[in-house]
Amino acid sequence: MPTPVIAVEKLNLRYGDFHAVRDLSFEVRPGELYALLGTNGAGKTSTLEIVEGHRTPTSGAVRVFGHSPRDRAAVRPRMGIMLQESGFSPDLTVAESVRLIGALTRRDDDAGRVLDIVGLTRKADTVVAQLSGGEKRRLDFATAVYGNPELLFLDEPTTGLDIQSRDALWEAVDRLRENGTTIVLTTHYLEEAQQRADRIGLMHRGVLHREGTVGELTRSLPSHIRFRLPAASPALPLPSAAAGDGTVVVETFTLQKDLHLLLGWAHDHAVEFEDLSAGATGLDDVFRTLDR
Amino acid sequence: MLAIARSELIQIFRNRLVLVTSLIMPVAVSAFFIYRHEVFAALGSLGYIAAVIMVTVGAFGLYTSTVTTLASRRQNLFLKRLRSTAAGDAGILAGLILPATILAAVQVTAILAALAAVSGRPADIALLAAAVVATLAMMIGLALATAGLTNSPEHAQVTTLPVSLGVIAVASWVGISGTEELTLLKRLLPGGSATELVLNAWNGGVALGDSLILLAPTAAWVVVAGALAGRLFRWEPRR
Repeated sequence: MPTPVIAVEKLNLRYGDFHAVRDLSFEVRPGELYALLGTNGAGKTSTLEIVEGHRTPTSGAVRVFGHSPRDRAAVRPRMGIMLQESGFSPDLTVAESVRLIGALTRRDDDAGRVLDIVGLTRKADTVVAQLSGGEKRRLDFATAVYGNPELLFLDEPTTGLDIQSRDALWEAVDRLRENGTTIVLTTHYLEEAQQRADRIGLMHRGVLHREGTVGELTRSLPSHIRFRLPAASPALPLPSAAAGDGTVVVETFTLQKDLHLLLGWAHDHAVEFEDLSAGATGLDDVFRTLDR
Repeated sequence: MLAIARSELIQIFRNRLVLVTSLIMPVAVSAFFIYRHEVFAALGSLGYIAAVIMVTVGAFGLYTSTVTTLASRRQNLFLKRLRSTAAGDAGILAGLILPATILAAVQVTAILAALAAVSGRPADIALLAAAVVATLAMMIGLALATAGLTNSPEHAQVTTLPVSLGVIAVASWVGISGTEELTLLKRLLPGGSATELVLNAWNGGVALGDSLILLAPTAAWVVVAGALAGRLFRWEPRR
């Protein structure tokens, strides 16, 4: 197995009596997109900030490219960071901001190239104070990908972006991945993680509850078939539950087989299902189990 | 460091509030002192005018503007952004402080040269330069410490008042009344021994050894301010 880009072992972070992160261990492998997801206040950003080198843990070990993440000279030239909040000087222009941060990353690139990626070329001479929230996020992404880093942190990258900007951002991420960039992502948009993450770590109340591919995470949970039955219908051929609004819910680990059985039963008994829907288990279903 | 310093210089000239505080106000005060130098020389001495000019530029041009800059850069997370790069903490701070320091040094030099042109050369230019360097170093240390107690640029208008007005008051007190009485107190107050050093350097008549020892209290203030800055300075806003 290749040496992990990030290795986190028994990480703990306390703020006074509050235990923000508890005994957290995970690895991020070269070239993968690892999504660190979780409920609000789960400790994702705290964890990310420790791994980025912005915060010191109470205990535990973190290695990035084999170095302490606080050894900036060793690790920062190899990583790009898109912070959750922008942090640009309002009096500098967009181009000046990219050139400044780009120079400090010690990677070679062209400000015009990264501004083109995020569609801010026409705003190059605009001061940051005049940018919208979405434009600031795009500027943030532009500085993070300056010089094609080997490791890229994306903390809520698409929050506040319109659909075109999101697509452009994910296109740029895809291109970086083709070149082998390792990516660590946190997001509240579960479909983004479901579509793109190689592996997902699910945090809840400071603990890493589950970790694996989307398939591994959802495999243990049943899919759902939902419909309404006309009054005086015969008994269903499968166990079911009634939702509060009169909808019948069938939980199944063999979705196609049981859906086929139900549709055959409906045909045989001339029953018309209303509002029929059937869905595979998604990350949102996994999330809902976290509070149980 | 130089990339950060260059961007800070750009911002100083784009931000009118900082420009007024750090450039125009000290120059205006100093111009008044030079214009009425005969009156102020009669009140204290020419050395007193030089000391007040030095301390005023240090207080407003360097100290206040540095506290405001650091609080502003922290509040909008620019400091955190800079720490997301390969730049080290010392390089970041040096880059942020360098432009205001150079501007303050240039201002003091130009204004004291103007004073010398209208009133005559100082007795010991090297000693005067040492006093200026020591005072600016002290103001930088105090600025770093005060920035730790300052939540926003608006808050800086309050938090900087005790030190900025205090050092100007001390400079006036020492410059007008001398250090024959309450000597120890006057020398230990921030700006007190630096003022006496400027008086000696400009007016002359004091042995070099007696003057050089006055660098010690100012150096001590640099150390104290540095230690306070180490404890108080914050890179991110309080959560």
